[in-house]
Amino acid sequence: MLLRSGVAPRTSRSLVSLFRLEPRLVAIGLLGGILSGLLGVGGGVIMVPLLVLWAGYEQRSAHAASLGAIIPISIAGILTFGVAGAVHVPEAAGLACGSIVGARFGAGLLASIDERLLKLVFGAFLAAVAVLLAVRT
Amino acid sequence: MALAVALVGFGVVTGVASGLLGVGGGIMMVPFLTLAVGLSQHAAEATSLLVVLPTAIVGSVVLRRRGVGDLGIALRVGLAGSLGGAGGAALALSLPGHTLRVVFAAFLGLVGLKLVHDALRREEAGT
Repeated sequence: MLLRSGVAPRTSRSLVSLFRLEPRLVAIGLLGGILSGLLGVGGGVIMVPLLVLWAGYEQRSAHAASLGAIIPISIAGILTFGVAGAVHVPEAAGLACGSIVGARFGAGLLASIDERLLKLVFGAFLAAVAVLLAVRT
Repeated sequence: MALAVALVGFGVVTGVASGLLGVGGGIMMVPFLTLAVGLSQHAAEATSLLVVLPTAIVGSVVLRRRGVGDLGIALRVGLAGSLGGAGGAALALSLPGHTLRVVFAAFLGLVGLKLVHDALRREEAGT
């Protein structure tokens, strides 16, 4: 998997050269963005697996890259939804108060956690959410 | 008041998961906002994104300080993603809420199955 990280740069199309990124990373960003806008999530659940399995990222780096990529992606989503007037600011403010504190702790944990344990925790997290949703729908 | 406490408390849990797993946390917040708070699917998604943004910024700042990952590349991946994000959000607004929920569930189920499959394969390989 690590060997695949040295992807040879292809003759880039204009979109790719605009971002100075490997085509794979552009594709992963686009996929994460579409899912994010469509489903109102950050897009990390699809970007993290793709970064690891397709782009050859190490698990920890993939989580960090996903979190950073979510910043511009969520701005685009907020602007689009905001125009439609669907954002509930008081609820968002309450959640954000807590999540900012939690994110400091969580990111610190990501910096030091064992990679294998991280894989297991992430897998269990996604499986649990999938089951919950399946029960609900 | 109880709602405010629940929102902040759920925010903390979401923030930890978000920082640790590099996801926005929307995957947890959207169901919470629809089921517990009673927002519509569209409102829940839009509101969730407004929480995802500061959470991702705080998490990324911490990771940058700890020397994990490359924030420059990450932001450029996200810039490419923001093109997709605007398109996806516009599409979401034009679809009925129920369709979105089914899409959301199907998507998660597929990712979950893939992960379980991978975990089992890793076990067989004995790594």
